[in-house]
Amino acid sequence: MSEQDRDTHQHHPDYTKIYVALVILLIISVVGTFSGILWITFIMAFGVAVVKATLVAENFMHLKWEKVVAKWVLGISLVLMLLFFAGVSPDIMKDRGLQWVNNADLAATARGIPDEEEPGKGAPASAAESAKAAAPTQTAAAAPAAAPFNPETTFKTVCAACHGPEGEGNGPGAAALNPKPANFTDPAFWTDKTDSILEKAIRQGGASVGKSSAMPAWGSILTEAQAKQMVAYLHTLKGK
Amino acid sequence: MQTPIATTRSATGIPTGRLAIWWLVASEIVIFGGLLLSYVMHRIGHPEWAIAQAHTHTFVGAFNTFVLLTASFTAVKGHEAAEKGDGKRAAKFLYLTMGGACLFILVKSLEWTSEILEGFTIQANGFWAFYYTAAGLHALHVIAGAIVIFFVARDAAKGRNLQRVEYVGIYWHFVDIIWIFLFPLLYIAK
Repeated sequence: MSEQDRDTHQHHPDYTKIYVALVILLIISVVGTFSGILWITFIMAFGVAVVKATLVAENFMHLKWEKVVAKWVLGISLVLMLLFFAGVSPDIMKDRGLQWVNNADLAATARGIPDEEEPGKGAPASAAESAKAAAPTQTAAAAPAAAPFNPETTFKTVCAACHGPEGEGNGPGAAALNPKPANFTDPAFWTDKTDSILEKAIRQGGASVGKSSAMPAWGSILTEAQAKQMVAYLHTLKGK
Repeated sequence: MQTPIATTRSATGIPTGRLAIWWLVASEIVIFGGLLLSYVMHRIGHPEWAIAQAHTHTFVGAFNTFVLLTASFTAVKGHEAAEKGDGKRAAKFLYLTMGGACLFILVKSLEWTSEILEGFTIQANGFWAFYYTAAGLHALHVIAGAIVIFFVARDAAKGRNLQRVEYVGIYWHFVDIIWIFLFPLLYIAK
């Protein structure tokens, strides 16, 4: 052990106090989730995480008393990492541009939804199948993997993530979205939407009809005929 | 045992061993920082991940956070003891930290087993891919830490290389900090 080591490391704060503070902060971050209010949860979770990390770094890692060169080593790494991240993130954040669509990303979105049955792989549905699809007896969860295209099943497994199972615009994904997903049960929604607008929104994304870009383009997964069936299904939700 | 000259020589005012640990932590900042930020970016772009994330067990995550915080506390108590020259006491604290690491891995194995049995594998979708990658890389660091801590503690008990108690502690606290951020990202911000 060198002399420098001795003189920079005589500092030992009351570790028990810091430990108790850390545990209390942990409890606060968990309790925050019960508020059900998004911004409180976020502040509780991430604000508290930053405070906890600072407490650990300063007192347990002794950064508070460490020579400045160590802070530069850590700080420069952090800044370079952020710089690299900022440089590449714009390309990753988008899944489509004027001349391109990232189908892999759209497929990943589709995979993120439970009981997804790859509607694109099914043969284009016949009129008889679409009539069968309208029958309310078929439930989404019970549909077999190789089932033919069924607009209701597709809606309940894919669209419902944001638009809600009943199309009320209140799916689990809706909380994080602004503007909110369309509510198909609301008569006001239908005042200015023709079928062709809706088909375009489904196949080319919300941005193609001047709506939210959070609505993905499903054109690589749904055929034109399937998009038409989806629109027909949306009409059945009206005023429910 | 003869102490190698490199552990005392220093141009920065920081003992070389400790400086090396800071460099290690700096490289870990790049690895985990990039991974966690990528997760945040994809999570914002994929609101439907909320469906998958609803299946993570908040209390299991919170318990493991508590375990790691406690293990960090014992590691720093070990450091304090080592600086007073009490190698035996330092070793005792380090063994407690090692026990915390083992408990963490045990809880994580049970948690993952139940999730995998429910069908949430690394290939299920983007959320689970990030979940297993980020938490898995972190778990590997916990395992590596536990192994290194064992050897440092064994030496410390014999009064040897007491400065290493602090060095291994710095690494361990960093692993704790990573989890402090992983916990809200994977378990709370649903």
